[in-house]
Amino acid sequence: MKVGAYEVMQARMSRRRMLQGATALGAVAALGPVAGFRPASAQENLRAEILKIPGVGMGSPTDADWQKVGEMCLGATKASVAEGEFAGVELTFMGLNNQNLHNFLFRGFLKPWEAYTGAKINWIDLAQADYNARLQQSIATGTVDFDIIEMGAPFEGDTAGKGLLDEMPDWVKTQIEADDLVGYLQPPVGTWDGKSYRITIDGDCHTFAYRTDYFGEGAIGGATVPTTWQQVNEVSKALIGQTDPLTGQPAHGYLDPLKGWGGFGMYFIANRAAAYVKHPDDPAWLFDPDTMKPRVNNPGWVQAIQDVMDLIAAGAYPADQINADPGTTGFSQFLAGTGSMLMWWGDIGSSARTSDTSVVGDVVGFGINPGSTRRYNSAAGAWEETANEAPLMAYIGWGIYVTSRVSGDEKKRKAAWSAAAHLGGKDLSLWTAAYPSGFQPYRNSHFNYEEWEAAGYDRAFIEDYLGSNADSYNHPNAAIEPRIPGIFQYYSVAEDELSKGFAGQYASAQETADAIAAAWEKITDQIGRDSQIALYKASLGL
Amino acid sequence: MSSEGDLLHVVTNDNIPEGRKRFGRAIIWGTAGLTVLVAALQVMQATGQAEFGFVNWRPTLYAFCTWAVALCWGQVLIRGEHGKRTLFVLPAAIFVAALTVFPLLFGLLIAFSDWNLSSPTGRQFNGLDNIRQMWTDPFFWNALWNMVLYSAAILVEYAIAFGLALLLNAQIRARKFFRVAFLLPLMLSPVAVSWMIGKSMLEARYGPLSRLARFFGVENPSFFGSPEIARATIMVMDAWTYIPFMMIMILAGLQAIPKELNEAAKVDGANGWRNFWEVTFPLMLPVSITAILIRIIFKLKLADIVINVTSGGPGGATDTVTSFIFREYRERSNVGYGTLLAFVYLVIIVIAMTFLMKLADRWMRPRT
Repeated sequence: MKVGAYEVMQARMSRRRMLQGATALGAVAALGPVAGFRPASAQENLRAEILKIPGVGMGSPTDADWQKVGEMCLGATKASVAEGEFAGVELTFMGLNNQNLHNFLFRGFLKPWEAYTGAKINWIDLAQADYNARLQQSIATGTVDFDIIEMGAPFEGDTAGKGLLDEMPDWVKTQIEADDLVGYLQPPVGTWDGKSYRITIDGDCHTFAYRTDYFGEGAIGGATVPTTWQQVNEVSKALIGQTDPLTGQPAHGYLDPLKGWGGFGMYFIANRAAAYVKHPDDPAWLFDPDTMKPRVNNPGWVQAIQDVMDLIAAGAYPADQINADPGTTGFSQFLAGTGSMLMWWGDIGSSARTSDTSVVGDVVGFGINPGSTRRYNSAAGAWEETANEAPLMAYIGWGIYVTSRVSGDEKKRKAAWSAAAHLGGKDLSLWTAAYPSGFQPYRNSHFNYEEWEAAGYDRAFIEDYLGSNADSYNHPNAAIEPRIPGIFQYYSVAEDELSKGFAGQYASAQETADAIAAAWEKITDQIGRDSQIALYKASLGL
Repeated sequence: MSSEGDLLHVVTNDNIPEGRKRFGRAIIWGTAGLTVLVAALQVMQATGQAEFGFVNWRPTLYAFCTWAVALCWGQVLIRGEHGKRTLFVLPAAIFVAALTVFPLLFGLLIAFSDWNLSSPTGRQFNGLDNIRQMWTDPFFWNALWNMVLYSAAILVEYAIAFGLALLLNAQIRARKFFRVAFLLPLMLSPVAVSWMIGKSMLEARYGPLSRLARFFGVENPSFFGSPEIARATIMVMDAWTYIPFMMIMILAGLQAIPKELNEAAKVDGANGWRNFWEVTFPLMLPVSITAILIRIIFKLKLADIVINVTSGGPGGATDTVTSFIFREYRERSNVGYGTLLAFVYLVIIVIAMTFLMKLADRWMRPRT
């Protein structure tokens, strides 16, 4: 779980409520045999037990807690590895140290694994900002010095595409119960040319956050919450000149970030575009997989850019929106009571109720990415007057990968995969989903709300907060970004061109989109068109 | 003892046998050959022509170090006391060469390469392609033009700095306090300025300066809403940080002017303005030129505030060459092109500064 979400629960959880929950659980356990209930299975017990460490509302988990969880979830490892089997094996693990999470947790989880197997793990900790450069330089200079890596799926093109990763053995798939992953994380994500490489430990998607006080009978935004981008734009224009019911400041509609964010800003225009261009019959929506010809200047994408330009021309955005990046729209605007609609990752939902600067905690609701009343079919080259929905799985999420450095040494290879599988285990993942870890829920089993409720979580909050994620994850037309080398280069250069377009330096949305397409063509040519086509197809599972 | 060359400062009677000289030459050339050989073998392995089992490039480094030691030792063996004197400079020269010249050469090699870190083909020499790309790159020329505008703003900064320096040089109350207070912005990191001023105080809705503007009747205050205003805001933020630097230099210059000169001018009937324009300003010209030149160098490096506050936008209006190179290099892993831009910018700066210094030299020459 993201840190903020956990803090929500800490804030809302009282001791009395805890005792109520514990008593109820105890009563159910005691009554079980008498009332004819089946005794809980060992795994169910384990899941309930690990959720008690340290206990919801009992403060942030410590290293001792992580070790305890790691120890309790060691069952799968013990079934496949003999005690001391990896004595003498040394592995190097490269990961992040964001917010003292990620690698810090992995250390704790893997300590009992090290003690049992006899292997030793050396750690490379990286700040998020240094991660990309470190990884790219290691690859480019042929100095990959790590056996296990925590990596985002967008980088699979740079690694799996270049043969730097080791294929996942079948026993690992069984151990981690890969079938339990939510829809969009099923292959082809995590696979290249049909081979699996990724142990998923996180999920990512953008969800729609809106202000509940803007919508409803008699509310300034209309009776219902917009469900299409067309409605989002209509409402945003209609709100011009009205007053925000919460802050008394001018009311605003949807908050588009108009400034780049190191490539991540591209996800936000892509939210709009996905509704127009992500056709259910076609997994590709950014490039043509046969030619790598950009689709970013097709009528669907141009419509998305035009929508933003329309709102700029109408004066629907707050002042200085041209200088607002996603961080600004999310944290300085939406949470501070400016604007009524936003697309963001899960952080916004949790921060809404915990951040000191948030004023919208009690008036925030969630949904999936708005759809469109029509969609563009790239294959036919024409609009279809059919409603379309396409939630964007922005960044896809973190995973654990094993590099090909271990491929030649079977003992080391097994050790590396065993460590990775331990971190991606089904039970351990419930704990990372429920407590501060930096990771979002990503398995179908994580959306079993009864489990959360029994552990002491507020059901209404969890359903609202996680429900939009679950709906997005399992959407049949989810938009998944290309996992090709240099994908953030494409995003970064698009941000520069969009910035020019939004500042009025291009004559039209089409001209802006054409400039992006031309820049993308250059990047494709520089990286290598043929290899990009092959890798794009591989990433799409074509 | 040698009977040729500089004998004035030679105190040792060096009588170097031919064998020692031969040994000296042998170790220099021998280690040089070893270095070339090891480097060549490593290059062959790196290019896949042969396999010698090298794990890293340390063998070449060790060979180079051996050659450097042999070169120094050889000087003494071959040239005696003259060689010892060379040793005062030679190790430092080799060190500088190793740490400056080699990276520079490597940088040049990269600058003329197509090297995108995501490309499976790695670095490829591409001749003048990067220069051609630069020539037609509107983002680069836009950033360069912005640098001209940013640099032009230095004249305004100079005028303000001069005014403040005159004020602090006058007999005013709490002079020492104001000197320290005016210097404070210079002590702030530009990143702190970006967040404190650019992102907080200038925040369009809740920032104190926006509230102040609204108090004075501005309906929708916006500090980054249009290209011109955004550029001006960046100029003001940068000026606020660095005017104290110019001010302190000018103040030092003002304090160095003998009081008698101003007093003599007063006796001759010069009023305050004539006194400043005919006496103080000409005398301050050398200091002023120096302050402006150093300020230009600072200005040409402007990037941090831009990267943090506007990312070069809106539409490239606030972009600087450095912030553009940063994006090209860091966000797009375009190492070859980014390096070329950095080299071109360096050359432009060197030429511009040389030209400005010549010009300044001419201005500062005593009038006859």
